[in-house]
Amino acid sequence: MTISRRRIYIIPTRFGIALALLLIAMLIAGLNYNSNLGLAFGFFMSSLALVAMHHCHRNLLGLGVDVTAEVDAFAAGYARFDFLLHNDAGIERCDIEIRCDRATATRSVAARSYEQASVNLPVENRGVTRLERFELRTRYPFGWFRAWTYVQCPLIAFVAPQPRGDLALPAAAAAAGTTAYSELRGDEDFAGLRAYEAGVPLKHMAWKVLARGGEPAVRSYSGPAAQPEWLDWSSLDRVDAEARLSQLCRWLLDSEAAQRPYGLRIPGTEITPSRGAAHRSACLRALASYPSKAHQ
Amino acid sequence: MSALTVAEERVPFERLLWITACLALTLLAGIATLPIWVAATVGGVAAIRLVLAARGGDAPPRTIRFIIAALAIGLLFLQFRTFNGLSAGTALLSLIAGLKLLETRTRRDIYVVTMIIYFLSLATLLESESFWLFSYLIGVCWLTTSTLLRSTSSSRGGDLSGSLRYAGRLLAQALPLAVAFWLFFPRFGGPLWQMPDNGNSATSGLSDTMSPGDITDLAMSDEVAFRVRFGADTPPPQERYWRGPVMHDFDGHAWRRTDAGRVRAPTLLFRGPAYEYTVSLEPNQHNWLFVLDWPSHWNAVRGYLTSDYMLIQPDPVSRPLDVVATSYSHVSAAEPLGIGMRRRDTRLPPGRNPRSLQLAQELRNAHPDDLDYVHAVLDMFHSQAFFYTLKPPRLAQDSVDGFLFDSKRGFCGHYASAFAALMRAAGIPARVVTGYQGGTFNRFANYWILRQSDAHAWDEVWIQGQGWLRIDPTSVIAPERVERGLNDLVAAGAPLTSRWQQRTPWLTDTRLRLDALRLLWRERILRFDESSQERLLGFLHIPEPDGQKLTLVLTLCLVAGMSWLTWQVRRELKPRPSDPVNRAYEQLCRRLAAVGLRRMPYEGAETFAARVAAERPDLAIVRSLCRRYSELRYAAGPPAAAAAAAAATFVAGVRAFRPGRVRPGRVRPRGSRGSA
Repeated sequence: MTISRRRIYIIPTRFGIALALLLIAMLIAGLNYNSNLGLAFGFFMSSLALVAMHHCHRNLLGLGVDVTAEVDAFAAGYARFDFLLHNDAGIERCDIEIRCDRATATRSVAARSYEQASVNLPVENRGVTRLERFELRTRYPFGWFRAWTYVQCPLIAFVAPQPRGDLALPAAAAAAGTTAYSELRGDEDFAGLRAYEAGVPLKHMAWKVLARGGEPAVRSYSGPAAQPEWLDWSSLDRVDAEARLSQLCRWLLDSEAAQRPYGLRIPGTEITPSRGAAHRSACLRALASYPSKAHQ
Repeated sequence: MSALTVAEERVPFERLLWITACLALTLLAGIATLPIWVAATVGGVAAIRLVLAARGGDAPPRTIRFIIAALAIGLLFLQFRTFNGLSAGTALLSLIAGLKLLETRTRRDIYVVTMIIYFLSLATLLESESFWLFSYLIGVCWLTTSTLLRSTSSSRGGDLSGSLRYAGRLLAQALPLAVAFWLFFPRFGGPLWQMPDNGNSATSGLSDTMSPGDITDLAMSDEVAFRVRFGADTPPPQERYWRGPVMHDFDGHAWRRTDAGRVRAPTLLFRGPAYEYTVSLEPNQHNWLFVLDWPSHWNAVRGYLTSDYMLIQPDPVSRPLDVVATSYSHVSAAEPLGIGMRRRDTRLPPGRNPRSLQLAQELRNAHPDDLDYVHAVLDMFHSQAFFYTLKPPRLAQDSVDGFLFDSKRGFCGHYASAFAALMRAAGIPARVVTGYQGGTFNRFANYWILRQSDAHAWDEVWIQGQGWLRIDPTSVIAPERVERGLNDLVAAGAPLTSRWQQRTPWLTDTRLRLDALRLLWRERILRFDESSQERLLGFLHIPEPDGQKLTLVLTLCLVAGMSWLTWQVRRELKPRPSDPVNRAYEQLCRRLAAVGLRRMPYEGAETFAARVAAERPDLAIVRSLCRRYSELRYAAGPPAAAAAAAAATFVAGVRAFRPGRVRPGRVRPRGSRGSA
């Protein structure tokens, strides 16, 4: 979205207020000594402050900003919101500060260009953290004024539980025992190439084939791990819900790393087995959205 | 990162160096009025800080800083006995700036130093009114502002020329607003409140004592004392005597002015033509104003005439001052000389200059008439071997005896002194008048420049029935007896100029032109006041200008200025494409959009053209135009000349292209001009 004129607020900073007092003192001195040069100098500096005010306001005016509004995070970590500042204007936008709550990132965007920025918002607890808006602010050029605007775009961080717990996957444990499980996590065997189809992880692409001018192909792997795994809330007999969620999260990440299809079953939600970034995200969000005790 | 941490961010050494340089440049402008030790302290402190910073060290510990600050400020108070007033205030501010530099680490300190620099520049401008200084300080402020920009903006940090350009552009945009402010901000006549006057400014020009030889020193100086612009008439050269301090008390060597208090000036009967003129005085820290003999009206605030017709004002002339006055060259006394004044102006120190007294006695016996006696003395100067020189020998205590009988060489002061002494010895009331005589005419702007080298001394004698009569004994010295100095060419009445200036008339002309500009600066800028503002409003055809209308005009100007600024600042947000081909293409798209064919953001030129051709077969020319545009944009580079020609054809084609609007159910023939 693009920042419009009506949404930009501007006030002097404390240095701006100090400067204003100084300018008043300068004008009084110029008048008192009846000095036209002193007055000229005072007026010049006052006009400079006014021009600086306009430039500060302009620095935000018409700036475009896009954001990944929904992100995944883990408790006691950071929710990383990615911003894209795009500047269609013929001037450089200097020192644009993006503020999400207390987390900030500062970027300058060259004329007719764009710039990426990430703000790492610290998140403490599992759950869904929602910021109703974020702020763009700037003190450029001289720090005498601060212009800011609120972008009313809800930022949502799905804060998954911290992956914790050392229990073995129930299905794997049942199938092959704990020693077998550790083998499962090892490298899988390369089984040959197959035709590309949409949705295949990029890291499985056979780039060399493509580079030789062949049809897009995908390396396929074979391994005992390719059977779906149900990550089941009820398989854990721990009393503490958060500990269960942490364990589920651990399993989830492990399964994803091992590229084994997995499904999630927690009270109120069931996600059928699959894998890949979208699936992982859906599962993590389900874990994050599980109502915490405080809300029950 | 909160506001606090931004302000407390460390400033790199390079920026510290620059802000120090800015402070040094500002102090340099006011160095003349700054006590030497203050400048030295600030310089030393800055050097210490820079050395520490260059080694990567921090500011010195708090206790050391405190001791230095306490010492310096204590010393300053001992010197000035006050912190009020311009000199003391400026010195204090300079010291504070230096001390602040000592602990400058963070951005906040940079802000503080910057503000001190701004205020010091202003303080310097309050004391001086030179155009060059003003320009210099604006330049320094430019540099300071760009340094501030680099210290506060993380992206502009290392970009010296870029930030200079940007700060320069901001200053340029500030200029029109500043001019509007300056022109229309209401001025008040006097100061809002009186400030104690600076104690350490040196006086210049004539003083209230004159020993023979004093004026010789002045004759070496090229400094301007004042400038004069005459009204309708200019008095002839022999009447252009500018009256300064009048001396009455003679101790046998030097003449002295004692303040007689505020005694009413004896009435004069004015005769002859009246001369109106404006004297633009340079500051000299004396409280007398130079006027033409004999003043009748003047506009000096609280100025009054003393009993010996000096124009005095209570405050010394510490800033350039304009006096508008009227004088008459011929007067006669309307009342007899008072007893007290007669006694004062015939007194001689007993036992001094015995040979002169004897000479006076002899001459007086031969010429019992006062006027005859005056002429006899003048005749003596003319006929005997008296010489006029810029390098007179030093005289002993009895200076009149020494001059009249031994050296016989002197400058105007010697002649005036000796003449007055001889008059008094004969019982004729006489006094020495110092001032300026002659001057250089600036033909480029029609005014006279009176330099210190035009300083002169003459006498006034009281002749019964006529009143005070001006006698200039120097003028009777025969021209061939003017001695040449080693390097200087001396001619009575002519300004002292060095040889190379006389040899190169174009250089003299250039100097005069520069001086004319200086007067213009002074009259138009420095002396801009309430009445100038009224004239300005009159020029703008505003009837009955007054303060209220001035404020109204100021408000209008500011509104216009701010609107202009807003437009100016936002205009840069969407720059016109600089490339004519792009401009023409945009024009083409605009024209098609006007007839309802809007190019979609995802459409390339040729896709768009195909759609246009499909919807409006009559506009098939768009296809060829768009084809050409694609070629110009994306085709592999043809020779430059061919490309330019193709571009020109394209631009011309777009210009000629006027799509007609289609009425429903009717297709216009191709090329028809749309008027629907």
